[in-house]
Amino acid sequence: MQDSPTPPSIVSQPQPESSALLLQDENLWYKDAVMYQLHVRTFCDSNADGIGDFRGLTSKLDYLQELGINAIWVLPFYPSPLRDDGYDIADYTSVHPSYGTLQDFKDFLAAAHNRRIRVITEMVVNHTSDQHPWFQEARSSRENPKRDWYVWSDTDNRYQGVRIIFVDTEMSNWSWDPISKSYYWHRFFNHQPDLNYDNPAVREAMWKVMKFWLDIGVDGFRLDAVPYLIERDGTSCENLPETHEIIRDFRKRIDLAYPGKMLLAEANQWPADVRSYFGNGDEFHMAFHFPLMPRMFMAVKLEDRKPIIEILEQTPQIPENCQWCIFLRNHDELTLEMVTDIERDYMYDEYAVDKAMRINLGIRRRLAPMMENDRRRVELLTGMLLSMPGTPIIYYGDEIGMGDNVYLGDRNGVRTPMQWNGGWNAGFSAADPERLYSPLISNPVYGYQAINVDSQRRSAHSLLSWTKSVIQTRNAFRVFSRGSIEFLNPSNHRVLAYVRRLGEEKVLIVNNLSSSAQAVELNLQMYKRHIPIEMFGRNLFPRIGDLPYLLTLGPYQFYWFRLRRI
Amino acid sequence: MAEESFLADDFIRQLMSVGEVDLLVGIPSYNNASTIAQALHSVEESLRQNFVRERAVILNVDGGSGDETRQVFEQTSERREAGHKGLTSLRTIHRISCMYDRSPSQGVALRSVVAAADLLRARACAVISPATTNLTPSWIANLLRPVYREGLDFVAPLYVRSRFQGLLARDLLYPMSRAVFGQRIRELYSDEWGFSGRLASQCLEQDVWREEAVRTRPEAWMGILAGSTGLKCGQYFLGPKTVSPSATGPDIVDAIRQTVGNFFWCMETNQPYWMSRSNSPSVSTFGPEHELSADGIPPSQEKMFELFRSGVNELEPILASILTPDTHAQIKAIALSDRAKFRFAAELWVKTLYEFAASYHRAVLNRDHLVQALVPLYRGRVYSFLLEHANSSAEAMEAQSEILCQEFERQKPYLLERWTAKS
Repeated sequence: MQDSPTPPSIVSQPQPESSALLLQDENLWYKDAVMYQLHVRTFCDSNADGIGDFRGLTSKLDYLQELGINAIWVLPFYPSPLRDDGYDIADYTSVHPSYGTLQDFKDFLAAAHNRRIRVITEMVVNHTSDQHPWFQEARSSRENPKRDWYVWSDTDNRYQGVRIIFVDTEMSNWSWDPISKSYYWHRFFNHQPDLNYDNPAVREAMWKVMKFWLDIGVDGFRLDAVPYLIERDGTSCENLPETHEIIRDFRKRIDLAYPGKMLLAEANQWPADVRSYFGNGDEFHMAFHFPLMPRMFMAVKLEDRKPIIEILEQTPQIPENCQWCIFLRNHDELTLEMVTDIERDYMYDEYAVDKAMRINLGIRRRLAPMMENDRRRVELLTGMLLSMPGTPIIYYGDEIGMGDNVYLGDRNGVRTPMQWNGGWNAGFSAADPERLYSPLISNPVYGYQAINVDSQRRSAHSLLSWTKSVIQTRNAFRVFSRGSIEFLNPSNHRVLAYVRRLGEEKVLIVNNLSSSAQAVELNLQMYKRHIPIEMFGRNLFPRIGDLPYLLTLGPYQFYWFRLRRI
Repeated sequence: MAEESFLADDFIRQLMSVGEVDLLVGIPSYNNASTIAQALHSVEESLRQNFVRERAVILNVDGGSGDETRQVFEQTSERREAGHKGLTSLRTIHRISCMYDRSPSQGVALRSVVAAADLLRARACAVISPATTNLTPSWIANLLRPVYREGLDFVAPLYVRSRFQGLLARDLLYPMSRAVFGQRIRELYSDEWGFSGRLASQCLEQDVWREEAVRTRPEAWMGILAGSTGLKCGQYFLGPKTVSPSATGPDIVDAIRQTVGNFFWCMETNQPYWMSRSNSPSVSTFGPEHELSADGIPPSQEKMFELFRSGVNELEPILASILTPDTHAQIKAIALSDRAKFRFAAELWVKTLYEFAASYHRAVLNRDHLVQALVPLYRGRVYSFLLEHANSSAEAMEAQSEILCQEFERQKPYLLERWTAKS
């Protein structure tokens, strides 16, 4: 039973010009989404307790609708000791009291759906908090029925050689439980014991959790840390066949009972390894393309398209009903696991000179500070994100160029309160500043007095206004979300150019990755006689003829052209 | 009317696409289809290993090869390293090529290389020969690194040579350039060297590119120009060098015409500089501790003495116009000496060369003919050298080389005297 109405198809919105193609299968909505990622805690506080909540978030849905996004990915909001920002869940079927009530969540969901915005939530399936009743029972005695819901061992020698993910804090994947006097397995923090998916009861319990939220009306789940569900001796305990069986089982149940709901995989792996999580279109609908993200930053710093081309050349085809999820920044560190050592060193040296900016194998910074507050570079990267194949995710605050605070510990520096205006607590909360869950960004460059939604709403040339316009353009052309991509190979490697194509719809994207003006000659013989129409200003450019098409681009400039044969 | 550019439009287009670079490696070629791919791989490997973050371009300048050298260069695919998920270097290693339609010439090729370096604002450059078959990635790095990291402007190679290899350099070019220009660079004439973008720009501005000396051996001119304009020079020990059997070097006549002719021309064009030099400080030398000479088999001495003797006879009027009577008489005297006891002493050798240089300066006859007249005398000197050192150790020969260098330096006032003499 659904508490919230299913949102109208996003393509039922008035569509300009060539986006007249009707969606054949509404269940593929996630392919056309522009997603906005937020934590309810960070967004808006309605009850002046210093912590964002669902009522506050609901009050800001008009802003999100105005921005043009059509899906929200909400980070964990469940009861939790909050030792890992909510990824340590103590109760899967409730809402953390700081964020409101279950009814508040339902109200938020209905309000989002009324605005044609879908909502996906976090499903941390790999582990629970050590405060979860399941674990409390499991550790209470070796004979407890829940004992086998987690992975136990009398020694810490099992699964030797399996990598430790949080290298900065964990010495081992095993931790000693003094209560039951044995070791328990955890791939992340030691307070996050891994569930034992070899136990069918665990699978059923997790399905019940999913069903609970699907019945309420959520549109999908982002499944956290999926490669680690199963452990086997002599393996890396990652990406095992049994893990895929579990995913297929969940997917089958969803397709049967909840068609149109979506599963998104968090699998920080190389594209070829992630490919298996799409299965034959019968596992995940979407998966993050982790290796692409650092390479977009790398390409801009190197002023060379090579890193992007190289990783996309390695990216395998995925089933027709699947889609990559792409992003620039998120709530975690900018992960550098899927890069070579040389690339990682380069990224550190160029983007995280201050050691405080580094955590684990990554960089804990936001988009704007990484781009040294250079609008041109922020726009270039956002433009690439929105024009590449895949569903783009925008991290809250990046649309206004929010800054970070790398001295807050863990990844908290990129999880500071949303900056709504230049007034009291940035408009985030009416509480005393001391009560805020996190200090505001208050430095002269990125502080809320300088960077906030209200001030940017007042300017047609602000980053926020620009972001709205570029999202609107993307949403207007299905070719961005569904089209193929063909990279052009101009001899100028500072220019990244590609053609997106869907039926007769063709869009040419040309990005100057360099800090200096560039000339580029494009081989567009396939599009001879077409007229390039610049998509933001709608100006006509010279018709494509027999000669290579010459374009000049200013520093970090990019063009989106519709190619029309008239 | 504007002067026509020597750079083809297509080449300019390629340069435009590359944009600014940190490093440039030039590969002049002529019928090197069988070896250029290996050279290219070595360069790419060197850039990947040693200059991970630098912007780099590899430039092939081809002299109109008939064996598709240029096509091989363009079509040889980049080697991918295993174990990195198919990832290669951090950056694109650009590869561009151009061809000139005149006869093959190192100078013409180098002009394109320095023009590219200037236009692309390269900081460090190297030129390598595709005929060198043992070119390793470390060679290229060793030529580039002193320029890129240490701020040098010219880096010559140092090779391990067998005792009897490179006698022209050992017995003439090195000691003479050391004495005249004050540069202790042993391999001023080589097929591999490194240089700075600054030196490239300076070279490009010189109106010398049509000179035969620059067309044939531009590297020595470049090194001398660097030294004479106060730029920092050095050398890097690269080890032994082998060349493709198909790459036949010039015979001794052409070798002397090219190198000695070039050297005399450099003296002519850099007079104010070298005439005021009175010492030869050592230059920065990089690389591991090394022996420059290794054991080897002496070349055939057959006919060498006869060619010396007949040359002295046949060229008597020409030698008379080049040499002072006293020197000429001494040479004629040793030409008559017993073959087994023949000696062309260092003192006479140095004096002879200085008188040749002075006569070149005064253009007492056609300069090309003048330089060719040195060939039989050089043969005599080599014959003497081989007699003297047939059983010498590498160390002893090195010591002898140093004595010869000192003799060149000791007699430099004589050079100045002859150079400035009225006739």
